[in-house]
Amino acid sequence: MAGFLDNFRWPECECIDWSERRNAVASVVAGVLFFTGWWIMIDAAVVYPKPEQMNHAFHTCGVFSTLAFFMINAVSNAQVRGDSYESGCLGRTGARVWLFIGFMLMFGSLIASMWILFGAYVTQNTNVYPGLAVFFQNALIFFSTLIYKFGRTEELWG
Amino acid sequence: MAGIKALVVLSFSGAIGLTFLMLGCALEGYGVYWPLFVLIFHVISPIPHFIAKRVTEDSDASSSACQELAYFFTTGIVVSAFGLPVILARISVIKWGACGLVLAGNAVIFITIQGFFLAFGRGDDFSW
Repeated sequence: MAGFLDNFRWPECECIDWSERRNAVASVVAGVLFFTGWWIMIDAAVVYPKPEQMNHAFHTCGVFSTLAFFMINAVSNAQVRGDSYESGCLGRTGARVWLFIGFMLMFGSLIASMWILFGAYVTQNTNVYPGLAVFFQNALIFFSTLIYKFGRTEELWG
Repeated sequence: MAGIKALVVLSFSGAIGLTFLMLGCALEGYGVYWPLFVLIFHVISPIPHFIAKRVTEDSDASSSACQELAYFFTTGIVVSAFGLPVILARISVIKWGACGLVLAGNAVIFITIQGFFLAFGRGDDFSW
């Protein structure tokens, strides 16, 4: 019973060489997720313009998520390992601290968006759509960051 | 150079896409011209690709960080071109029928732009 899926293989499709295009596919998927998240938030802001329906301070989560996206993806994995030729302006330890702060901001924004959804919307018996929009914006930006950071391989950079 | 046939086909599909967009604005029941703002997204969508091509001198590698960032932003511009009409329709600035026509026009125009890159993108030197 154990391991009965061990020999399962996906059906082979040899028409396209996915290994060369992995980075492009990951970038496109990350782009779709990131910008869909932002447009969900823009939609909520446009449909619920009054501060009683959606407090304008809730945009902060999305802004910090976006900042964290660019911080996390600004350092390459080679820099963090110390492998690359030029050490960059911060060096290896600086790159690690930068990445750490970036991930902290990202997780913090995600947790804040969940807090907003439950604290300001679900428990208050109001229309829950703006809270869902804040949550989905941050969740989509989070997944976009993961895909952009870990879905690409640096071996294709030559 | 892929030739005249590709050029004619692409110009035809571009005209169809723009026709959908104009129908979404100008038909009797619609009459508002806000959807024309998606043209801005159409115009700026090739720019990240050209910037990345210009900045990357070494073409031996199959990909580079700059090119991937260009794909990211280009995808964002495409998503935004689809998102704007939906939001306009959600707050009833335009009707949903107009939104549908604009989305169809967007799809055709972006396929045309991609077709241009596939047909004419290889081996061109991008001298401005």
